[in-house]
Amino acid sequence: MPVWQRVYEEINDPNFVLICVAEDTGGEPVAGPIFDAAKPTYVQVVDEDHLISSVFNFVNVPSAAWIDEEGRIVRIDEGTYSKTHKFGEGEQAFLFGNDVYSPALKDWVAKGANSVHVQSAKTVTGNIRDHGFDQQKADAAFRLGNLFRAHGKKDKAELYWEMARTLNPDSINFFRQNLTLTEEGSGGATFVKMRGEYIAQGKDYYRPLDIEVS
Amino acid sequence: MTRAFGAFPEYRHPFEATAIHPEGSVTVLYQGKTVTLSEIAKGDGLLIAPADLPRVNGFELKPEGVCFKDLCIPMKDHLLVERDGKQWFDLAAFADLLEQPYVADKASGVWSFAEIPAKREGMMVNAMAPDFEVIDRQGKVIRMADYKGKKALVVTWSSW
Repeated sequence: MPVWQRVYEEINDPNFVLICVAEDTGGEPVAGPIFDAAKPTYVQVVDEDHLISSVFNFVNVPSAAWIDEEGRIVRIDEGTYSKTHKFGEGEQAFLFGNDVYSPALKDWVAKGANSVHVQSAKTVTGNIRDHGFDQQKADAAFRLGNLFRAHGKKDKAELYWEMARTLNPDSINFFRQNLTLTEEGSGGATFVKMRGEYIAQGKDYYRPLDIEVS
Repeated sequence: MTRAFGAFPEYRHPFEATAIHPEGSVTVLYQGKTVTLSEIAKGDGLLIAPADLPRVNGFELKPEGVCFKDLCIPMKDHLLVERDGKQWFDLAAFADLLEQPYVADKASGVWSFAEIPAKREGMMVNAMAPDFEVIDRQGKVIRMADYKGKKALVVTWSSW
């Protein structure tokens, strides 16, 4: 989040809006301090029901949509990292993210439709994931489970979160959010196994980033 | 720490303060809102008072049909049900008509509705961003439509 704040300040354009959305059933107690630490001046939303992922058919975080002045999406659904991050230390360390997304974003804000990073409507609609009846029903089930979770009705929460996962098995968001209820958490062995199987099935954990490295 | 806000604070589930299902009522989750309806009728489907329809999904009954702003869907006979001398609107049947998915936990009296599919079609056809409405951490209503004329990056993240 601090890096997005820096990118936002570097862009410093009154006609650019950055809307950062935390997809977190834990709500403000979980996401709020992370936002606050960044001292953000951009728009911050804590989205307990994952509504924004549902709106744009996202299945993973971080994901993003670029929306132009007319309300048209000109890029969507990529691993939206503001920079390369290092996780862990020593031999266990690995890198994730990239250093090309933020410069591309800045180029678009500066040049608008003339930016080479603007994609056609055909490309964009081709990159939007399918979100048919079952996936939409999964959204409804997830919210139902979330309501029960918040009321301490764990059995029903798990029942409907599992329904959501069954109806939309491609949603990494649902999978990992469910894992937050477990002792091992969202980044443990279960997640690593799921991620491996997901990729082995030829699915895009993130869509390939179609930005050339200069 | 900043006070917690969620979407539609007037309808937001005050999770710890109330039961999901106060006796005799139904809780409806609809587009980020949590609405408790105390006036319901027994029967198949979800029979609500027509007067409650606007606060659930923004639709209202007009002579032209079931209307959201200027868009009206012609009334179908099966959407209106008579019970105990009163007229009720079947929200589940309306959802079926719109091919709108929903999941109900009838034992707890909670119904959760997905987005209306027709509202999403523009994105798949011409890449137009769907409008959405959420509340930011400062309590301000954020609507995508309010940012017309500006470029916007909508980016998701999580703590998990």
